[in-house]
Amino acid sequence: MSPEMVSAQQIASELNETPPSSAISLQMSVDNYLDVIRGVVDLFANKKQMDTIYVAATISSDAIKRVLQALDIDDSRVYFVDCISHIMMGATATQQDEQTTLVESPTMLENIMLKVEYLIRRSQSKDKLVVIDSINSLAIHNNNWILSEFLHVLVSGLRSRDAYTVILTVEEHSTPELNNMVSLVCDHGIHAGKKEG
Amino acid sequence: MATKIAERDRCVTGVEGLDTILYGGIPRSNTVLLTGSCGTGKTSLALEFLMHGAVKGENSLFVSVTENSEKLLQNIIPYKFFDKSLIKSGRLVFVDMPVMYERLGLTKAELSMEEIELLVNSLASLAKELQAKRLVMDSITSVCYKLKTSEKIRDFILKLSKALSDLGCTSILVGEVTADSTSYSTFGVEEAIADGIILMANMERRGDLLRTLQVIKMRGTMHSRAKYVLDLTPVGVLLVPLLKGGSTG
Repeated sequence: MSPEMVSAQQIASELNETPPSSAISLQMSVDNYLDVIRGVVDLFANKKQMDTIYVAATISSDAIKRVLQALDIDDSRVYFVDCISHIMMGATATQQDEQTTLVESPTMLENIMLKVEYLIRRSQSKDKLVVIDSINSLAIHNNNWILSEFLHVLVSGLRSRDAYTVILTVEEHSTPELNNMVSLVCDHGIHAGKKEG
Repeated sequence: MATKIAERDRCVTGVEGLDTILYGGIPRSNTVLLTGSCGTGKTSLALEFLMHGAVKGENSLFVSVTENSEKLLQNIIPYKFFDKSLIKSGRLVFVDMPVMYERLGLTKAELSMEEIELLVNSLASLAKELQAKRLVMDSITSVCYKLKTSEKIRDFILKLSKALSDLGCTSILVGEVTADSTSYSTFGVEEAIADGIILMANMERRGDLLRTLQVIKMRGTMHSRAKYVLDLTPVGVLLVPLLKGGSTG
């Protein structure tokens, strides 16, 4: 029997139960990416008229924009911190604009924090959501020590600004160390991976 | 009974992260050496300090030594908080040092002690006339090249610092050092006289170049001595702590 996926609506419902300034670990399956995007960005953030700051470390912001368009999700409130296009040598294709800020490399963790901070200051919406996509991709480029420090500083800062943080973890690529690192800074966990039906 | 130590009045820089590092801002009337190699953001930070002052209603003076102020303004970051009418209203004034040298007849390659006195008095008079509460000199290193000797440099900075302090003016002297310098100033004198030293640098880590800021000393206040990473943005200089997990030095 093939595993049943957690729906976008279920993900949004779980997120709706968390108060602002929460840090949420969202463990997903690679097969469930589209539902996660719809649940987090569309059914949760857009519905609450919240700006989303999307840290793209797995695929480029251009690719995510195409996903949003394909899913017919309004991306006018989605702002990207793209830390992958430069190292893919695709920064010329991904233009830095009002909605997209480029970071040269996913190893420049401080610069990711600075760009998130800049977008938060620029944002006009009362509530904000910061999505880290994904901890597994950041772990390819950074050791666990600095990554753990990054998460701690980032999440603490976002909490003080009453922003939601959603950290995506791809369960197929995760390790116990990464899971521990994420659970240490998060106060809620959503399992949006495969479940046996 | 515990006695409370009198807190010195602060000049809030307006750069949020820096004010946090300094526990509220630069102690008013201090002379601060803002030093670093090229491309580290010294001029941007110094300008932002003046702009925030001008926005708050404090008269601010920028003494440009190395770059023509007109050219400087063309390359300025389009700050969200800055209104150009502050220049028109005289709240923020730019003065080009080469013009000042010319008017004072200080055209020789090396200034005498009398000429240093004249220069200090002219700068102090200008600050007094403008009722400047903030002053930036960019860069002090360029002025020092006209002074040549340690004695003259010491004399100039001490006198200027005293004159500005007496006016209640908080000043930032921008210093230039080479990227490989282990000293905080080119002539070794500036750092010893200043009330505070803010060091800006480019730090390489695994091929990435990070802009960093560190307060080395600041008389009259407690402060963090940690290294921070900064970004120059249209909302001003932003700072976050340097992550130590990857630090090489």
